[in-house]
Amino acid sequence: MDLYEYQARTLLEKENISVPAARYARSSHEVAQAVDEIGLPCVIKGQVKTGHRGQAGGVLLAKTKDEAILASEKILPMTIHGHKVNGVLVTEAKNILHEYYVSISLDRTSRDYDVLATVHGGTEVEEIAHNHPEDVRRLHIGPLEDFNLEAATKMAAEIGFYHADVDQAAEILLKMWKVFKETDATLVEINPLAKIGNPTDESSKALCALDAKISLDNNAAFRHPEWSEFTDSQNADPLEVRAQQHGLHYVRLDGQVGVIGNGAGLVMSSLDAVAGAGEGNPAMKPANFLDIGGGASAAVMAESLDIVASDPHVASILINVYGGLTSCKTVAEGILSAIESNGLSKPLVVRFDGNEAAEGLRLLADAKNPHIHVNDTMEEAAANAVAIAREVSTTSGSTTGRH
Amino acid sequence: MTLFIENGAPVIVQGMTGHEGMRHTARMLAAGTNIVGGTNPRKAGTAVSFDVSGSSVDVPVFGTVAEAMEKTGATASVVFVPPRFAKSAVMESVDAGMPLIVVITEGIPIADSAFFVASALSKRIQIVGPNCPGLATFVDTEKNPGSTGVNLGIIPDGITQRGPLGLVSKSGTLTYQLMSELGDIGFTAALGAGGDPVVGTTLLDALKAFQADDDTKACVLIGEIGGSAEQEAARWARDNMTKPVVAYIAGFTAPEGKQMGHAGAIVSGGKGTAQEKKKILEECGIRVGSTPGQTAQIVRQILEELGE
Repeated sequence: MDLYEYQARTLLEKENISVPAARYARSSHEVAQAVDEIGLPCVIKGQVKTGHRGQAGGVLLAKTKDEAILASEKILPMTIHGHKVNGVLVTEAKNILHEYYVSISLDRTSRDYDVLATVHGGTEVEEIAHNHPEDVRRLHIGPLEDFNLEAATKMAAEIGFYHADVDQAAEILLKMWKVFKETDATLVEINPLAKIGNPTDESSKALCALDAKISLDNNAAFRHPEWSEFTDSQNADPLEVRAQQHGLHYVRLDGQVGVIGNGAGLVMSSLDAVAGAGEGNPAMKPANFLDIGGGASAAVMAESLDIVASDPHVASILINVYGGLTSCKTVAEGILSAIESNGLSKPLVVRFDGNEAAEGLRLLADAKNPHIHVNDTMEEAAANAVAIAREVSTTSGSTTGRH
Repeated sequence: MTLFIENGAPVIVQGMTGHEGMRHTARMLAAGTNIVGGTNPRKAGTAVSFDVSGSSVDVPVFGTVAEAMEKTGATASVVFVPPRFAKSAVMESVDAGMPLIVVITEGIPIADSAFFVASALSKRIQIVGPNCPGLATFVDTEKNPGSTGVNLGIIPDGITQRGPLGLVSKSGTLTYQLMSELGDIGFTAALGAGGDPVVGTTLLDALKAFQADDDTKACVLIGEIGGSAEQEAARWARDNMTKPVVAYIAGFTAPEGKQMGHAGAIVSGGKGTAQEKKKILEECGIRVGSTPGQTAQIVRQILEELGE
């Protein structure tokens, strides 16, 4: 789970990492109130879970209250790289003397933790690594090891922090490590970690986390009840929420062919088969990812079908099951019960293989429902589901794309 | 030569007395696995009866892994313990020196997995998983009459038989799908590496084992979006393998930043896409099928070329 900046900074604040004063606001009215509390000048920052928001116009400086309100009216309705802006953060504007970059992340390859820092902060880390590879410093911390003051101080010195900042930087690195470990994060990034203050007054200079990005490990949610406050209920997709309540993995995509299967790999593979078969004009694409999991019951299958069918863009539904633990017969029962209880009328294309495939197919055949189609292989079933979706879209005369 | 585990090796199940543990222990026994015990401190001294093709088999329950190893000589453990307790269960096996630990559990916090994987590596203990279907080996019944191979985990029995292929995969159902498509050809072993960001046995580790195994003639590698385990395996194969590898990658249509079911199946910062993996695999001389069916066809073609 990725956090918004306004959420991530609260986790840094809890460890006493210095952050600028800020208020989260959802309307220009709230922005006006925030300006009264924060003072001027201030920065209005759109809250989105994606990078490059500055270049996209999602961060604006305001010298007056009117400018702040105007800036928020521009930013609040924005969608940046496909992400809808979810409120703005009104922060005090700091005089920036220098920008550093520091992050701690899970390294999947070396199966340990990677502390990465550079004197060139402010832009995306990929660009920094590309433009100044020689200035990127890394330190790997093993899962059985701990990060200590000595290592942090050594690293801070190596990064090239100004001599006067080394102790403070080391302290911040250690606090970031604490945030990383204690919150079960997979990424804690401060960019920029800025040196702020009055250039002529040494005592005013300090390091401050001007922006933060934190990703949390969803698998650890059970031991973090406090994460409930991070749930993005406003922007959550209602079908994704509903699926989650039933313990199902559902991801909404932008196509016309609904996809249901068992096992994450097989479902991803089914999406690819649909996209492959759907090339051409008009192009047909998968409408969603839905994994019913291993050993699914008829009720789970029925619920899954209902979720996928309730997406109005879905013209046909591919059900691809390889029965390992899952019984194809049970899946067939679920399909028939969903049709019976909800009057489902969208065309279904079913492909069963493995455990009780023959029994499942017999149940479907006996139902003699004209909306149920069957194919032997995943490839054929995907092509069939695409052909049916194309026909439905053409005869209904509607455009097939989404906006 | 033995791939991953000796035929008939004694195996214990951690979490055997739970719902999932009971169900899969019965299946593993039916597949011929030599399950010699389970662990549960609250049920130590009791036994669980399983129905194995009509006859009843009693499997004793021990209080600790160390005790189970001492009394049974177990050399492998299969873990079905829920995520909350998985770290301490796996660490119990690591501390007891269990040579092979297969962790089936899905949903273990990554920090916990990283900890037990690092602990195991430091003691040269092999962990398979977590979040995987496990490991199945197949034996030549002519050479080893009465032996059936070892089934550790949840891979369905009876899909395939002994043959020249080695399979390693990040996905359960795609493993079964390919085992089934190539069921007539058969396998030496199939290993589910798991769909988590941190796993104990990587795709590369499995290819190494298959390269070293004389009976494995070709490998099937099933990958998916997220991380770079496929690329690392491919680069190693390019430089070290004499046996052909055929791959399938799932997730070409996965959007950026969305977790596709598995905890590890996520494209982040433009990294870990299926397109990137396919490109690097092909640059390393690995043929990548566009669907599971086509992947199976390429495998058949390659075996014909090898004269197998």
